[in-house]
This record gives sequence, C-alpha cells and structure tokens, in this order.
Amino acid sequence: MIIRCRDISKSYFRGSLEIPVLQGLELEIPQGGYYALMGPSGSGKTTLLNLIAGIDRPSGGHLEVCGHALNDLDDDELAAWRAAYVGFIFQNYNLVPVLNAYENVELPLLLTDLSRSQRRERVLEALELVKLADRMGNYPRQLSGGQEQRVAVARAIVGDPDLLVADEPTGSLDARNAEEVLGLMERLNREMGKTILMVTHDPKAAQHARVQVHLEKGVLERTVEVRR
Amino acid sequence: MNYLHLILRSLLRSKRRTVLTVLSLAVSVALVAVLQSVLFTLDSFTKNPNASNRIAVRHKVSITNLLPIRHADWIRRQPGVEAVMGLQWFQGVYIDRSNFFPNFATEAEYLTTVFREEIVDYSESQFRDFMRDRNGCIAGQALADKYGWKVGDVITLKSDIFPITVRLTLRGTFRSRKPSDEQALHFHYKLLEEGVSYMKGHIGNIWVRARHPEDVPGLIERIDRHFADAVDPTTSETENAFQLTFLKMMGNYSAMIQSITAAVLVAILVVTANTMAMAIRERTTEIAVFRAMGFTGLQVLGLLMAEGVLLSVLGGGLGLGIAWLMAGGVRQTAGTFLPYLQDFTVPGEVLMFCLHATMGVGLLSTFIPAYRATRRPIIEGLRAL
Ligand SMILES: Nc1ncnc2c1ncn2[C@@H]1O[C@H](COP(=O)(O)OP(=O)(O)OP(=O)(O)O)[C@@H](O)[C@H]1O
Ligand SMILES: [Mg+2]
Repeated sequence: MIIRCRDISKSYFRGSLEIPVLQGLELEIPQGGYYALMGPSGSGKTTLLNLIAGIDRPSGGHLEVCGHALNDLDDDELAAWRAAYVGFIFQNYNLVPVLNAYENVELPLLLTDLSRSQRRERVLEALELVKLADRMGNYPRQLSGGQEQRVAVARAIVGDPDLLVADEPTGSLDARNAEEVLGLMERLNREMGKTILMVTHDPKAAQHARVQVHLEKGVLERTVEVRR
Repeated sequence: MNYLHLILRSLLRSKRRTVLTVLSLAVSVALVAVLQSVLFTLDSFTKNPNASNRIAVRHKVSITNLLPIRHADWIRRQPGVEAVMGLQWFQGVYIDRSNFFPNFATEAEYLTTVFREEIVDYSESQFRDFMRDRNGCIAGQALADKYGWKVGDVITLKSDIFPITVRLTLRGTFRSRKPSDEQALHFHYKLLEEGVSYMKGHIGNIWVRARHPEDVPGLIERIDRHFADAVDPTTSETENAFQLTFLKMMGNYSAMIQSITAAVLVAILVVTANTMAMAIRERTTEIAVFRAMGFTGLQVLGLLMAEGVLLSVLGGGLGLGIAWLMAGGVRQTAGTFLPYLQDFTVPGEVLMFCLHATMGVGLLSTFIPAYRATRRPIIEGLRAL
C-alpha cells in the first residue's frame, strides 16, 4: 500500500469554534492505483488530498505515504519528502507567469542535484510526453488553458514522483481539453505506473480512474471499482 | 535556468513598479552619496595628516580679534619651533564677488616652510622675485589657470573687510598635491600693514610649525599659558581643530547632513518595503505552489530576500552612478564659493556606506513580508486567489 490512512481526523478552528471535517477516516491505496475522490462540496475532499500530499497535517490518526510516516516528519523533512515523492496538479494550473513552459517544468528540478544537461533531458522528456515540446518557449499567457494544464502535468512528473495528486484538474477546462488531460493522466498511470489520487466533481472524469471513493460528511461512504 | 535567473525574472514581473522603485531609490541614494561626500570632504580638512606639525594661534576672544605680531616673535624663540608665520584673511574681491577664492596677507618668507606639505612644487627664482617685490603675490596653479593669469599680470583685489584695494603683480605660482590647496593667493603682510593703520603691528592668526608632531601639545600649552595674562590672550589649537572651528562657523552642517541622510534612508526603506510587500502579496499562491513542490520556507525566504536586496542594490548602484556624475558639477559650482570642495569626489568610504545602506534597506524591507509569507500555511496560500 502506497497510502495508508488510519483513523484520520481533521478539524479546522474558527476562533475557538471547532469545525470537524474528517472523522476516523480509513483509506488504503495500493501502488499504481488510480483513485477518484468524489463527494458533495464541503465534504472534505480537498482536505483529505492535502493531508495525503503532506501540505497539511491531520488533527489525529496515522498517515503513511510512500513508505514514510508523515506524522514523524518536521516541516523541512516534509518539504524534502514532497519534492521526492509527490507531484501536484491544480485546478488553476498555477504556472509561474514570468517563466516559460520549459522553465516552469524545470522549476522542481532546481531542488535536485542534477546537472544542467541532465535537467534539460528530463524537461524535454516531460514536455514531449505532454506533446508540448514545440511550445517550450511560450509563456503561460501564450498558451491555452488545456496547454497550460499539460505543462503543469509535465512539471508534476518531471521529478519522477511515485504519487500524483490532482484537485479538480479538469475543473477549469472545456470537455475536449478535459478529455485530453484525463487521457494523459491515464497514460501516466498505465504506462509509467504512477499512483494517482484525483479529486473531482465530474462523473465523466471519475470514469477514467480505476476506483471511485465517495466522501460524505467526513467519512468514506463507498468505494466503487470502475469497469470498462 | 538557475536561481539568479529566477530572481531576475521575478523582479521583472511588474516592470513599471520595479523601474519606478529603482529610480526613486537611485535619486535618494544619489542625494545621500553627495551629502555624505561633502561631509567626508569637509571632514578631511579637519583630519589632514599633513597638518600634524602645525598649530594655529588666534585671539582668545574670537576668531576675528587681532593679535599683536610681537606674539609671533616670542613664539619663534621657543624650543621645538621650526617656523612661525603671521597670516591675515584679506577677503579681497577680484572684479566681482562671484569670483571667490581665499587670499591672504602673509609673512611670506615663512610660507614654504610652514606649509611645506601643501606648497610642494614652485620655482625658486619666482619666489625670489616675489620676495623682492612688495606689491608681488603668488597663487596656486589651479587658481591662476582658472583666471588665465600669467606671471607679470596685475591682479586687483578690493577687500571686503579692510578699507583698502591692493594692486598686485603675480610673481609666481605653486603646485600642491590637491586642487583645493592650489586655490589660495598670498601677498605681503607689509602691504596691508602700511595701507590700514589699525593693522600696524597686528595680525589675525599666527601659524606655528613644530619640529616634531609630539612637541605640538606641549607648545600649545606653553603659548596659551604665556599669554594668559597678556592684554591679548591666545587660544592655540592644532590646525585640524582650527579648521573644525572655522567650518563650524557655517553651522552644524554635520548634524544636518546626518539627519537628512537618516530621513532619506527611512524614506527609501518605506518605498522598498511597500514594493516588496506588494510583490510578495500578489504572489501568495505562487509561494504556496513553490512550497508544495518541496521548496522549504527558508529557501523561499532566501529567494524573496535576494530579490529585495537585488532591487535595492540596483537602485543604490544607479544612484552612486548619478552621484559620481554630480561630483563634477559640485566641484564647479559649490567649489567656487567653498574652496574646500574643489577636490570633491565620492570617496570609497561613501561608496561602501551607500552600498551597505541599500543592502540593509533591501534586507530590512523584505524580511517582514517575506517571513510572513513563508510562515503562512501552504493550504491557505493555495486557496487564496
Ligand atoms: N482553512 C479552513 N478553515 C476553516 N474551515 C475550513 C478550512 N478549509 C476548509 N474548511 C471547511 O472544511 C470543509 C471541507 O472543505 P474542503 O475544501 O475539504 O471541501 P471539498 O470537499 O474540497 O469541497 P469542494 O468540492 O467545494 O472543493 C468545508 O466545510 C470548509 O468550509
Ligand atoms: Mg475542494
């Protein structure tokens, strides 16, 4: 299992008022899984994704991801862990506007000790995978939304992480571009063995995953294998 | 791409804002650099290492009261004294008041001994001509060049403080190590003494050259003690202390310059802090993305601080360039009525001060917004849009 959530709880505080979001949540995802996390708005999908991706900490319970007990890592260790194991794909792409496509993809590699030419090789490989090698000099504002999200996918995989997390990756895209990005993610899962956890509202998008998990009021309601 | 590249790109995110900030920094730093250089230049006259043998003696009551020239004779006889020279500020106007330069009625025979370090290059024969001609005068080379004077020319000076006009013949010129030391004109004290009745036997200052710098404190003490009960008591001080007294007559320029400097530094701190706070605030989401990707808080802090320092150093560097260009203008304008500023430049000390100050401004102004940005939870940054 690449992800193990044991009795995870998470509350937010508004002043002294406790807002429980997740309660006693149990979830296991095997290596190479492609899970779609669904549920009504406010059910805690993003919260759970953030905990698993190590950018937020649970209020209680035990979290083991990619072989590391996240509870035991301090902030800097957690940052190093994210750099090594997790690729992020956001709904709004979140590319750096002053960097071109090539540089955006190269960004996470600044944290590695790869040489310039090794970095170049990796960046070109990632850009070719998302079929944007010919646009590598373009700045985000010179790309369509779909292209931007594909650059973001290239950035997420360039460091060769085991786990990809995507919060509504197609939420800002039209149907055609959404299909393209979903197809890409499917390939990453199938051909490269990436474990993917994707939050989505869209049942069509969720069809691309292998397993759909439904979150309702902070607890997992049901898990469905997708049949094709 | 490397980190420097990344920082430069971030700086150019809002070109207009960056350019405006750099320009306002540049103008402010240029002002500070020029003012600090003025202070430094003036200070150098009160810290002249060549003056360590010299004592200036003046009337105890005020710098404008006259001393009997007999005092000089007594001082001349004291052990450890190499030479003594009476000197009277004449304030002669050459054609027009705007042609200001210092001119003195001097016991000229002692001039090249007392001011050996300043009058370094001159013609013996010209000086002999000067000594022989009671209407003769000598001038610094830079001064002679400025007015196109040649040896033999007649220079008429109408005094602003004595009821006398002197017609002098230029008999020679001298060179110094610094242009500011080549601005003076000297003529014979006898001429003043004969032309102005109350000057008979009187002089404004007496300059004493000790054989050894270590004799200076003892001589000062001995001179002032000897004349303490005389009708005209003296105040003696080192030449550097005297220069300071003289400059202080213009007011406490040092405190003024320092307070302007402080005010300008605070102003650019505010300008830079505002720019960096804006630059960081609009990048809240991006900073969260960087950290999600695995950049540590410290790394992000470093990137932002480097950006702030680069911004302020760009402004500071440009400002120093402007100050350097302005230095020539200062020499030509302020230098004509304040000869101290004749060799005005932006000295290395001021350069370093300004660079350090702008780096400090960059660090200080960026630290607080940058630190707060890196303390902010990542998930909050990702949610902010
Ligand atoms: N920082 C926070 N402070 C307080 N409450 C929060 C915070 N973040 C989330 N919440 C609350 O926690 C609950 C779950 O939020 P979450 O963002 O995980 O929902 P979601 O399932 O992703 O919803 P959506 O589908 O709208 O994105 C919501 O009620 C939300 O208001
Ligand atoms: Mg959400």
